[in-house]
Amino acid sequence: MWLRSIYLKTLRDYRVPILGWGIGMGLVIVSPMASVSELVRTPEARAALVSLAQTFVWNADAIAADTVGGYATFKIGIFIFLIGIWPLLAASRMLRGEEDRSSLDMLLSVPRGRVRVALEKLAAMWTALFAMAVIIGVLAFLGRTAFKASFGLGDALLFGLDLALFCAVIGGVALLISQFTHERGPAAGTTAGLLLIFIVLDMVHRVIPNTDWISRLSPIYYYNLSKPLVPTYGASLGGMLVLLALAVALSAAAVWLFARRDVGDTVPLPRWLRLSDRVAGPSRSLPEREWSLRSVYARSLGMIAVPTLWWTLGIAGGAAWMVIVVQQVEGKLKTLYTDSPFLTDLIKNLGGANAEFNAAFLAAMFSLLPLLLMAFAVTQVNRWTADEDDGRLEIVLSTPQSRPVVLFGRFAALATSTVVVAVATLAGAALASSATGIKLDSTNLAEATLGLVPMALFVAAIGYLAAGWLRSAADTGLISFLLAAWFFITFVGPELKLPEATLKLSAFYYYGTPLLHGLQLANVAVMVAVGAAALALGTLRFARKDIGV
Amino acid sequence: MTASIIEVEGLTKSYGGKRGIIDVSFQVGEGEVFGFLGPNGAGKTTTIRVLMALLRADSGTARIAGLDSWDRSLEVKRLLGYVPGEPSLDPNLTGGQLLEYFANLRGGVDQAYLKTLIERLDLDTSRKFRQYSTGNKRKVVLIQAFMHRPRVLILDEPTSGLDPLNQQEFDGMVKEAREEGHTVFLSSHVLSEVEKTCTRVGIIREGHLVRIGDVAELKDIKRYEITISFAHPIPVDAFTKLDGVTDVETLRDGSAVRLAMQGAADAVIKAAAQYPVVSLTSYEPSLEDVFLRYYERDGEAPKEAAGVA
Repeated sequence: MWLRSIYLKTLRDYRVPILGWGIGMGLVIVSPMASVSELVRTPEARAALVSLAQTFVWNADAIAADTVGGYATFKIGIFIFLIGIWPLLAASRMLRGEEDRSSLDMLLSVPRGRVRVALEKLAAMWTALFAMAVIIGVLAFLGRTAFKASFGLGDALLFGLDLALFCAVIGGVALLISQFTHERGPAAGTTAGLLLIFIVLDMVHRVIPNTDWISRLSPIYYYNLSKPLVPTYGASLGGMLVLLALAVALSAAAVWLFARRDVGDTVPLPRWLRLSDRVAGPSRSLPEREWSLRSVYARSLGMIAVPTLWWTLGIAGGAAWMVIVVQQVEGKLKTLYTDSPFLTDLIKNLGGANAEFNAAFLAAMFSLLPLLLMAFAVTQVNRWTADEDDGRLEIVLSTPQSRPVVLFGRFAALATSTVVVAVATLAGAALASSATGIKLDSTNLAEATLGLVPMALFVAAIGYLAAGWLRSAADTGLISFLLAAWFFITFVGPELKLPEATLKLSAFYYYGTPLLHGLQLANVAVMVAVGAAALALGTLRFARKDIGV
Repeated sequence: MTASIIEVEGLTKSYGGKRGIIDVSFQVGEGEVFGFLGPNGAGKTTTIRVLMALLRADSGTARIAGLDSWDRSLEVKRLLGYVPGEPSLDPNLTGGQLLEYFANLRGGVDQAYLKTLIERLDLDTSRKFRQYSTGNKRKVVLIQAFMHRPRVLILDEPTSGLDPLNQQEFDGMVKEAREEGHTVFLSSHVLSEVEKTCTRVGIIREGHLVRIGDVAELKDIKRYEITISFAHPIPVDAFTKLDGVTDVETLRDGSAVRLAMQGAADAVIKAAAQYPVVSLTSYEPSLEDVFLRYYERDGEAPKEAAGVA
């Protein structure tokens, strides 16, 4: 049944993301629901939470932030970038990815017009988005039941629909940009950059009065017009219609261009926009002194350099931002902290007990850093497994390089990158601390940042081990799921009174609160030992497995 | 045959219950150009990937220069040059970068010889791999296989995608390798290519090696078709009993014939010359067609083919 049409086949390809992304995003929405009812036990705590949310209003609308639905809406607004990742990846891969693999030639040789092929694929992505929306809506409704919110099932589904429409717009942008790029990577990267710009544009009207017209240039503005989880606010039909119109217009433009350009080529740009054309004649020369071609390790470093740069900017910049934010919201946080036993517990759980408030809060925020660096490791594990799936290891392994050397070369390059990210994060946080006057223990700060390295390498080692049996998509899905599960256990588990044994199943448990207490040597030793064992087993398995099977 | 450099004994490999190769045994002498023929899916690539230690055999042994290709894979790979059936390389590196990278991984590559190969196959090394045509991608892979003058070349359908000029250049490279005493193990599903390049052949079908011997022995399976159109209908009996004709089909109400041929066409040409010929075309069927007719028409392999391996 699933192979009867391009639409069904594409939908079949999306079945894992539908479940994985739908449930993952659903949990991201339910998590703040779990905390808010505990956060607002006293009127003072409620007022402090509202005030705190107002401090972040530049980042996301804080409407009825002291209610379950309002707080969840506010939190998801902060994470809007994450929501956009799947559609931008899927849409940039939809046509351009198939062209990269030359599989689109085959598909276009069947008696179906290009427009129909593109529309069937697009329809499958939209169906997947709406299926995710239903999952997110149902999970939000279950959260409402568990945490006694006042919105109904219809509101929850409308919330999912609003998210799906926003994702469809981002997908449309990626699909359109992919008509102008030779590969899917630049299309995804450019769309991610645009998404950041959309976020900034949307922020403008909340920070600077009378600048609504600027924010209206961002689709996030129209997404934010609806807040179905806040019963007093409701959904905006107009906002949703604008999103729908944008998604249709962008996708239609992309399909129109796709139908008119050469397959494998891009839409021709005006001469003034083009990069300088290659004018040099054929060359027979060899880059004999290029450092990145000297070994598997050097080549792997060359491959990972650009992603490392971006992730370094994100993580190190994030750490510096956290330090600055703590200084800015110190007063409001203290009131909330004093009046909310839940927040006290949460920060103690994440940031550590018996500590100064600022340090504890910062430690809690820093606990997000390993998640980010581990996500970077997941992307690199995906690259390793994809290389085997796509046959790119075949010729490398026909040279006199042993399989362990090839694997270690790749892993060592990843390790080098994580060290670069960690050192830059240390430098960023130290600079921010010195600029804002927030006092941080320099040894602990060094341990908190450099301690990110074993965390990232731990998840990478698990991924390399699983790659011995699983293909790329399954391996990436597995370690992404592990990350989500660990995140849930560590950040929500203590409030759910999960037993200590369960909490110890999360990798984040072993990171602890190094900003306050330094790294616990025993915990780091556990991580390193398990990671090393996983890497050793993964190497043994790789040395014995059939390649590409 | 000279001393064996490739020795395969009872090699079996399956993919989770699906057939790969079954009990394959053969030997290739040093300095030989050995053709490994078989239709698509017969097991050629599986055999090659076991030789290259990319797959681990379920049973049996594969040795190169007396070294087990799995247990001593590193030493074996120092002796080898390899062209995979479906080459895939980093799309973002240029041809020059790829060749330099593999030269570094191999070590001991003579840069002057490498540049000669680049010139010879007329490769533009400044373009990214993803920008190359199929033929140019194949050139990159061929050059990296030959650049270190390996003792043994293992080539999986190496000329697929090459234009006739470059195929000719490739034939020259194989010939030179042979003259230098190197061994070439070449898989193909094109009979004429193997016939032109190789000294001995093995034929694999449905995972079994069904035949092995000198190229000259291929003549009994080498079949082709001749279609002759005449100005008017001719008596078909004129062709049925001629030497080399195994089957005759009448076309267009007797004004054309399609002859299944084996061996010389001399008698057919002379017989056709008795009538006003409008056109004559000769067609070499694919190896799959040959196998279909040769092995399946009678339900089983002919006696002389069965069990030769």
